[in-house]
Amino acid sequence: MKAFHIEIVTPDGVEYDGEVESLLVRTDDGDVEILAGHTDLLASVGVGRARITVDGKKRFASVNGGFLSVKDGKVRLCAITFEFADQIDLKRAEEAKAKAEAAIKAANDDRDERVAKAKLARAASRIKVASMK
Amino acid sequence: MAGASMNDIKSRIKSVTGTMQITKAMELVATSKLRRAREKIESSRPFHQIIGEAIGGISVSGEDLVWTKKSEAKHPLYIVIAGDRGLAGGYNANIFRLTQMLTAGKEAKILPLGKKSLDHYSHRNADILSKKFGYVSEISVGDALDIAEMACAGFENGEFDAVFVVYTRFASMITQTPVYEQLLPLESELTESGSIEPVYCGNPEEILNRIIPQYVGGVLYSTVCESLASESAARRTAMNAANKNASEIIDTLVLKYNRARQAVITQEITEIVSGSEAL
Repeated sequence: MKAFHIEIVTPDGVEYDGEVESLLVRTDDGDVEILAGHTDLLASVGVGRARITVDGKKRFASVNGGFLSVKDGKVRLCAITFEFADQIDLKRAEEAKAKAEAAIKAANDDRDERVAKAKLARAASRIKVASMK
Repeated sequence: MAGASMNDIKSRIKSVTGTMQITKAMELVATSKLRRAREKIESSRPFHQIIGEAIGGISVSGEDLVWTKKSEAKHPLYIVIAGDRGLAGGYNANIFRLTQMLTAGKEAKILPLGKKSLDHYSHRNADILSKKFGYVSEISVGDALDIAEMACAGFENGEFDAVFVVYTRFASMITQTPVYEQLLPLESELTESGSIEPVYCGNPEEILNRIIPQYVGGVLYSTVCESLASESAARRTAMNAANKNASEIIDTLVLKYNRARQAVITQEITEIVSGSEAL
């Protein structure tokens, strides 16, 4: 398959900068897969897994927030966090999940609950992706 | 008489040496903090640049989006990033000077980040949006997103008509420049030639409403990183100068002390000699 260049950046650094054959991202409106020569696109990214294919090999990652932009052939995924499966600290994610579950039960107002639910979703996504090495 | 002045000089040498020890320690701390802060800049700069490029050309033809609406910035919000501590040369003062120039003649709201910034504007009874962010060194990506959400909400409901961030750009180890950047409204390039409108996954307005707070948060976080590095660098330079001054002062004081000591000895010898001659 034809390869194309993508950049994946987070505030903590460049997570990926190179050629891929495909990029699959869970956007807020469902999965979107980008192949070479994709038309211009803009989508907001939610919490979930992403997948890149390099030399026929699939690599999974957990993404949280940000957006996906394709402009003039430049593909960029600007995320708040982006971790490849092998970078995920499973133990930490499980602890975060337990903490978030407790926080949902203890939440006093809507905002607390919303924050805790978002945390839970992130932890769950990490745990799920960690098993997809 | 001479003995008293010798003691004076001695105690001054002691005090300057004490000060120098402190400034030396501060320089070392600033240097090690600077190293970490520079690593952070290195990693956040690409995000700042790429996110700017990606958002820069956003256009929704025919629609007047709240995010791109041109404004005169009559009652803007200024997010002012200064340090948590002083003794960093002109670092804090430069930021406040720039902000004052920018806000002159406007009904500006201020969102101070950092203890010095908070103190400065509380003291002057400025119109402060939130006092929650007293420690700039502890601002995380999550905090930056919270701030961005607050700024975007205020912008959307018309509380302010523009959002700027005032921070110090880390140009190099010796140069840090206070600068400002417009966060909202987005400076879109809606030219007649028109960039081709991208395909939106879903309702364009909804997407932008979700993306823009994250964009603002991302840019804000990287400006915080720049500011932190600039603060450490400014402090390092200031402390380096303080060290040099201190060692210069000590040198002249030691010279003075030795002269005074010699004068005392000479006087004593003269006294002894003249005493023995008198016998």
